[in-house]
Amino acid sequence: MTSDRAVTSDGAGTAGGPLGGSAPAGDGPAGQASIKPDGEWLRVHPASPFIRGWVALAAIGFFFGRDTFERMLQGRPLMDEMYSGRVPFLIAGGGLVLVLSVLGFILTWYFTRYQVAEGYVRVNTGFLFKQQRQARLDRVQAIDIVQPLLARIFGLAELKFEVADAGESAVRLAYLRIDDARQLRATILARAAGLEPDPERPDEALPEAPEFPVLSVPPSRLIGSLLLSEQSFFVVVGAVASVVLSTVTDNRGFYFYLIPAALGLAAAYWGSFNKGYNFTAAISPDGIRLRYGLLDTQAQTLPPGRIQALKVTQPPLWRIFGWYRMQVNVAGYGGPGSNGEGASRTTLLPVGVLADVMRMLSLVLPDPGTPDPARVFAAGLTGIAPAGRPGPARQPAAAEAAEAGEPDSGFVTSPRRVRLLAPLGWRRNGFTATDTALLIRSGRLWRELVVVPHQRTQSMALHQGPLARRFRVADLVLHTTAGPVSPRVIQAGLDEARALFDAQAARAREARKRQTSEQWLAQVAPAAVVEPDNPQNHQEGPQHG
Amino acid sequence: MPTEAIDPPGISWLRVSPKYVTVRLVEWAIGNLIAVALLSLPLVFALVGWWDWVPLWLAITVPAFMLLLAVWRLLLIPRQVRAIGYAERDDDLLIRSGIFFQRTLVVPYGRMQYVDIGVGPVERGLGLCTLKLHTASAGTNAEIPGLPSDEGARLREQLSARGAARLAGL
Repeated sequence: MTSDRAVTSDGAGTAGGPLGGSAPAGDGPAGQASIKPDGEWLRVHPASPFIRGWVALAAIGFFFGRDTFERMLQGRPLMDEMYSGRVPFLIAGGGLVLVLSVLGFILTWYFTRYQVAEGYVRVNTGFLFKQQRQARLDRVQAIDIVQPLLARIFGLAELKFEVADAGESAVRLAYLRIDDARQLRATILARAAGLEPDPERPDEALPEAPEFPVLSVPPSRLIGSLLLSEQSFFVVVGAVASVVLSTVTDNRGFYFYLIPAALGLAAAYWGSFNKGYNFTAAISPDGIRLRYGLLDTQAQTLPPGRIQALKVTQPPLWRIFGWYRMQVNVAGYGGPGSNGEGASRTTLLPVGVLADVMRMLSLVLPDPGTPDPARVFAAGLTGIAPAGRPGPARQPAAAEAAEAGEPDSGFVTSPRRVRLLAPLGWRRNGFTATDTALLIRSGRLWRELVVVPHQRTQSMALHQGPLARRFRVADLVLHTTAGPVSPRVIQAGLDEARALFDAQAARAREARKRQTSEQWLAQVAPAAVVEPDNPQNHQEGPQHG
Repeated sequence: MPTEAIDPPGISWLRVSPKYVTVRLVEWAIGNLIAVALLSLPLVFALVGWWDWVPLWLAITVPAFMLLLAVWRLLLIPRQVRAIGYAERDDDLLIRSGIFFQRTLVVPYGRMQYVDIGVGPVERGLGLCTLKLHTASAGTNAEIPGLPSDEGARLREQLSARGAARLAGL
């Protein structure tokens, strides 16, 4: 990473003046200034509107060019007789549209400027309707570098900066040169972490934090996981059903209905493959780094303590190979599809074996809060309460239970009376609490383990319907930010649920008091944090995995 | 049916104003009576003789069923209003609601992002307001309807003060 890379710099705009009129639009990329950590208003790469708007340009070209091209091929005159008198007008009209759109591109580029200063990122956009968006650096929830295929060809990248409001207000900078994007990410993360620029050399760019690879997903496993996924199951069922239907009814028409379905499925498989390809995870003092993508690549950085909730799931067929999937709630990302990006951003691990899961868990939850985390989490993933024995009457803490050698690592499952309501799941559905997180497991066939750190609990609610009241059970819902994980303890016995409700409120309160600054390096000496360890909530907890 | 409440024992709940029943009645009337009237249209048409392709038994049973449901809901309203309660504890606010589908919600003061007070036209006439708490989670549906205006204002100030004192990050 070098700091001599130049971004477009606007000489007149340092004071945040509205237009910076003295800087001609053309000379942007030639500017020699290195990234100044403070104050300077910068522009994105001048090619970016064309990369973003190439579809529009291509559409215009297609619209005007197709007919002419066809006529040329067929050897007919280029224009109909009736239009021949208007050729100049048509060409002028087409040219005008083209010029206008290019002008629009240039204007959007010219009026899009950004600045990193005084603990804020500010982005100005728009020339008719101006918008200034600013985000506090210490509220950064996640920061992504996205490279769509076309941008990748040109060596450009989009920088996306999430603050906490469910994907509504991401700050986007599209496009920067990839080196500049990385440099800016390092600067933002360093500021967000609480590192101050060196007062003697304030212009020097901050070095990127070192990172340590943790795991990667081989393509063969990714393909296998797609073939054994839930959607494959439905594909097989659908195919069998249509074949049976067509033989029974002697109607070949069913095959035709399969064509659009097959196309859609192929697109879905391709999407998952494209997104999950070459998935690697690494840890750095700035947080967890995830990289993935075949054609469009993406690099996510999740700073420490930004993960609000996490779930590990295992579809039935993945059990053959012992694979798991991990998804997270991050305040900036929002739910799947909420900004049209599918589920890939909230995936912490598309497919991995138990060791991978444990390793990722140790990154997310550096202090598991129990002396034997491997056993507790394994019980959460695959465990089941022994048959015929009622669950523990009181709630032992997981640590206590591990010491006492409880067979189920302290998981409190549904009472036996619920077996009519949940004949398969009643021994599996349960919860346990470590000193730092609440673990909720459920599902006999679709196994699921949800982990919510105590200090991330927002609010909770006890729910009970009429049927649940007959069985004296209740559900406890933990509210977390929008995302794929929705923690819910299902069908816990009423007394256990009530006790958990009170205990969890107390635990969350304690955890909030312990919670340190949002600036995760502020308390730690900046030079010392290179070991792969999450610097927040430092307690001497054992590392697991 | 056993009527054991799910809320933690030993909490003295503050109840909302009984006048809130009126608000719920107006809402009920707007929603249910219109639905019943619309569903009765085929019956009316059939009786008048404009068109009669809907079987008569269907034209009678559907609105009758809706009417029954509406009356059932109407009878529940006073009990539902009585079931709404809230309690301020040292570190969090508890809100409970529901008779058949009970819910007890706890919102820590430190997690509140902002507090809303909303007043609808009927509520204004009765001097009531609705207090709404927002946390970073969209799932927190913390609403206390039917508060007397001054109690609402007091609660808002109280919550804001406590929230500021215990504010935690995300």
